[in-house]
Amino acid sequence: MTDTALEAAALGKRFRRRWALRDCTFRLPAGRVCAVVGPNGAGKSTLLALAAGLLAPEDGTVTVLGTDPASARARVGYVAQDKPLYPQLTVAETLRTGADLNPGRWDAAAAERIAAGGDLDPKARVRSLSGGQRTRVALALALAKRPELLLLDEPMADLDPLARHELMGVLMVQAAQHGTTIVMSSHVVAELEGSCDHLLLIGDGRVRLAGEIDDLLAAHTRVSGPAQGSLGDHTVVESRTTGRQLTALIRPTGPLSDDWRASMPTLEELVLAHLRNPDAPALTPTQTPSPAESGSGAASGSASGSESESEETRA
Amino acid sequence: MTAPTVAAPRLLPWLLRVHRPALYVWTGLLVLLGGTLLWLWGPLTDAAAEAWRQYNACATGGVCRYDQDAILRYKDVYLYASFAVLAVPFLVAAWAGGALTGRELEHGTAQLAWSQGISPARWLTAKLAVPAALVGAGTGLLVLLHHLTWSAGRSRVDNTKSWFSTETFYANGPLVVALALAGLAAGALAGLLLRRSLAALGAAAVAVAALWTALRFALPHLWPTATGVSGLDGGPGYPGLLVDQGLVTATGAHIDNPGCGSTATAECRELFDRLDAVGYYTDYHPASHYWPLQLTATGAVLAAAALMTLIAFRLLRRRTADKGAAR
Repeated sequence: MTDTALEAAALGKRFRRRWALRDCTFRLPAGRVCAVVGPNGAGKSTLLALAAGLLAPEDGTVTVLGTDPASARARVGYVAQDKPLYPQLTVAETLRTGADLNPGRWDAAAAERIAAGGDLDPKARVRSLSGGQRTRVALALALAKRPELLLLDEPMADLDPLARHELMGVLMVQAAQHGTTIVMSSHVVAELEGSCDHLLLIGDGRVRLAGEIDDLLAAHTRVSGPAQGSLGDHTVVESRTTGRQLTALIRPTGPLSDDWRASMPTLEELVLAHLRNPDAPALTPTQTPSPAESGSGAASGSASGSESESEETRA
Repeated sequence: MTAPTVAAPRLLPWLLRVHRPALYVWTGLLVLLGGTLLWLWGPLTDAAAEAWRQYNACATGGVCRYDQDAILRYKDVYLYASFAVLAVPFLVAAWAGGALTGRELEHGTAQLAWSQGISPARWLTAKLAVPAALVGAGTGLLVLLHHLTWSAGRSRVDNTKSWFSTETFYANGPLVVALALAGLAAGALAGLLLRRSLAALGAAAVAVAALWTALRFALPHLWPTATGVSGLDGGPGYPGLLVDQGLVTATGAHIDNPGCGSTATAECRELFDRLDAVGYYTDYHPASHYWPLQLTATGAVLAAAALMTLIAFRLLRRRTADKGAAR
């Protein structure tokens, strides 16, 4: 058993001319609950489909549970964004299909428990279900095969707050009881805050931030001070001047001078600052120091004076 | 690793569950068309044979009483049944493109299956093998019934279609089974390529039509023809599937028929003399060429089906991260 659930190295996928994902490198340790965050069209779905073995990469490699996605297929659960299910089957038939396709792994009791939580009639046709009920059935299919890695693309998008809370609870129990690594994407940061301990921020097909959320927050500081103040060698992600006041989100490279009032940013501030400033250097933990990774951040403009963009954030 | 998956996925229950409507329609079609052919084989052939017996017994001149309706009913039902058998490849292609692969890729249920532990290659193998068995067996049964019906009428019903008339030739042998299987492969490939149900449905039907058109041009040349020669006075005759026809000169050369007409007129006789023509030649396929023609054409169509299947697997492997992928 490997301690890495998901690892990408210079992973890239192109659809016709457009790169949906490019030069994507990160490592997700096993047992984490990872949020894949980014605006619509950032490449989140592409990344998850690549990890699920539904798409072939153009460049680089993706390693899933220590092997290639095709070999890991039986041990990976995946729920696509639009929760595809056979509309003509009933809920019971859909779950029976899962049992047929996953002999030896299928946990029928878990499937029924998750489906039953939504007051679902087992004889109801899938096409007659509401969005939330569909999500429930899709999650039941993915969870009952007892995956070691669960990939969820916008799982909570069409759920009401109550169902969202409840299903998130189901997922957290799964993660806690079985040590399942969960990767879920969303464009709403607040949806994932509190449930996730790892973050992968994708913007414009590239990894912008990757790492443990606590480490990422600790690596950044929110500062405010006089507009003419100098931020020295610190990496500036975003800075704004209002009158004579300057506020900035920085990655300190050393002790701050006393001119600045410092505070810890929230996760949402961190994400938004990086998305608003595409030129800000990426922060991804390097596994092996390689020259390929230093090119991934495009240090240009006012964003950074230093080249120290690939910093080690985790011990 | 944990929980080794010893048991293989149970693909058949899954496939039958997902494509249950198609299974019902196919069974219904077989029952309906098979029943029609049996009806034609038995009662309708008997009635038409009896009507022809009455007709042939009639004295020349005077009133002839015979059951004309029986003869016409036999002819109509035979033609409808032949055309229905010939429609099978198109139906199979349209279904395969629309429902078997096209709709699955359009709605993401193919990806659902792939993330439920069966690899894309295995998915496509199951999706082709089970329908191929059912389509092959069903179409084979229809062809057998059609052939038996046609054979039963040949010696007793004077208006039975000749072996080489288009609809009879195609519906009478394994060729239409091969076309149905090619339709399945074309549909599956179209669905994978276009990833849209309706577009793939149309494209697959067009592909079968194109294959059939090519086959109709190629068919006479798939086996060496026989050549018959007849005198200028008698006119050309062709006791089988006509391929080519013209004039034979005194040196034995084959030249085009100027289309003058019979030697009864002086101008034509003059023209034939000038061309040094001594008779007509006819390149044709006699009845003994039926099986060679059927089997070579069947082989060619099966090769086309195999090629389309290979392309479909290659395409799927390249697109998904399947094992043995090209990249």
